[in-house]
Amino acid sequence: MIETKELTKYYGKNARGIIDVNLDIREGEIFGFIGPNGAGKSTTVRTLLNLIFPSSGQGKILDYDIVKDTVEIKKNVGYVPSEVHYYNDMVVEDFLKYSTDFYTSDYLEKMHELAKKLELDLSRKVGDLSFGNKKKVAIVLALVFQPKILIFDEPTSGLDPLIQSVFFDLLEKEKQRGATIFFSSHVLSDVQKICDRVGIIKEGKLIKVENIEDIMKTKAKNVRIQSSDFNLSEDEHVVNLKKIKNSYHFTYKGNIQDLLNKIRTYQLEDISITEPSLEEIFMHYYNKEDKS
Amino acid sequence: MRHFIKAEFKRQLNSLILWTAIICGLSILMLSMYPAFKDSFSELEAMLDAFPPSMLEVFGLGDGGLDMSTPYGWYGMEGYLFVVLIGGSYASILGSTILSREEDDQTIEFLLSKPISRNQILMGKSIVVMTNLFMLNIVLFLTLLVAFLLIGEFIFMTTLLLVVGPLLLQLVFASISMAISVFVTKSRQVMSISLGLVIGLFFLDIISELTDNFAFLKYLTPYEYVNAVSIVNHQTIEFVYLLISILMIFISGLVTWFFYNRKDFTF
Repeated sequence: MIETKELTKYYGKNARGIIDVNLDIREGEIFGFIGPNGAGKSTTVRTLLNLIFPSSGQGKILDYDIVKDTVEIKKNVGYVPSEVHYYNDMVVEDFLKYSTDFYTSDYLEKMHELAKKLELDLSRKVGDLSFGNKKKVAIVLALVFQPKILIFDEPTSGLDPLIQSVFFDLLEKEKQRGATIFFSSHVLSDVQKICDRVGIIKEGKLIKVENIEDIMKTKAKNVRIQSSDFNLSEDEHVVNLKKIKNSYHFTYKGNIQDLLNKIRTYQLEDISITEPSLEEIFMHYYNKEDKS
Repeated sequence: MRHFIKAEFKRQLNSLILWTAIICGLSILMLSMYPAFKDSFSELEAMLDAFPPSMLEVFGLGDGGLDMSTPYGWYGMEGYLFVVLIGGSYASILGSTILSREEDDQTIEFLLSKPISRNQILMGKSIVVMTNLFMLNIVLFLTLLVAFLLIGEFIFMTTLLLVVGPLLLQLVFASISMAISVFVTKSRQVMSISLGLVIGLFFLDIISELTDNFAFLKYLTPYEYVNAVSIVNHQTIEFVYLLISILMIFISGLVTWFFYNRKDFTF
């Protein structure tokens, strides 16, 4: 549904763009696109939407070329930008009507339904809205015409936790409807919650694409041990060893049976072995890239 | 596309009303002074004789220049200048901001996420600029029509050209400003450059008339193309100037089209 081949945007020497990004986002999936600020997430999104032109490589959305057929693409893409900038002097309702007039059908009823769910006041001026409320306008705009593709760039920033949960419910419905969702974010817990696959971008390069389940099923485990005679600091599988108060915290990257055999020899007071969070896995990939 | 143009027109309507009121108001003010001035014309003529001829040339009052004792001569001398300068300023502000404001306010990101091409955006905005300038000048024409009828001397062709001239000039300034705004995207900066052009070219026009050494400059300044003397005295806008104006509009349009369609919108 969204496909890029060696998509590259070069901004010049002093600014980082994106380099050889290869994406293949399948129909009906929610694809998480993660990386810290400045890694190239927004550049990728803006290139897909033809706000900027690729320096080389190509991209297709629904088999339409992202440069040549951008108008056709936009008939099928709903977009929530990371920072929302709309016409400040317009009343929200008028603005929403104006926006939906770009499409052929009438979406008035759906618009009111979404606004109600997100608790958006339609009678206010766009310029008077807070950042979070502007974000709600963007979400209504993206969802109202039920597009085949949804592109979100940091959609949850500015939304309070209640509205965030409404938003995730809406996303769930969109997925059931069959929409393909490109979800760019640096809030990893959001990505972990809803995405099927995830791509990690670093310094403009896509360094990893994996199923979220597989990525969470990495062999690495977070281990916390409370023991008086603990001594694994020499073990090659133990990384990030820290002593906090009486307990040792580390990530174990080897065979779990070996770990248990080793631990058995210690006087244990307490132990916990948990899955690492996406944050930790993410940091792991980032650090690994740095070392290599 | 139609609703886009409509919204764009609505966004520009207040400033159109304001500028039209200023320009028509000043024209009426100047023409309302004519009856009082007519009686004291001989005194003024004596005073004008004291000025050096090159100075009079600048104001279109030299040999073969405007006859201030006629209503059209008076208007060409007193009112037209304001219309040309203020109208030019309005056109250049309109041209400067109509594209660049979307980038300044970053609303272009919204616009380009809708199914509308960059060409359609350009086309829609150009239509709004043209409509606004046409409307301004239609109202000005009607104002002049009434005013000259009240004074008791109305010549259709001269009145028409006194409006078509400024319109041509405004279209030139608006299209040049639009082209500049593709490269300089901060609205304020584009506006300064474009207004600088409006004023700068006006002074160039004055210099070209001051001495024969700089006569070649007259081809560079659009003010000369729509000179009041040739409109009032000869009822014409010279063909060569009309051609240059159209060429300028065409080239500016081409530059705008070419670069706007290849532009990266980064914020």
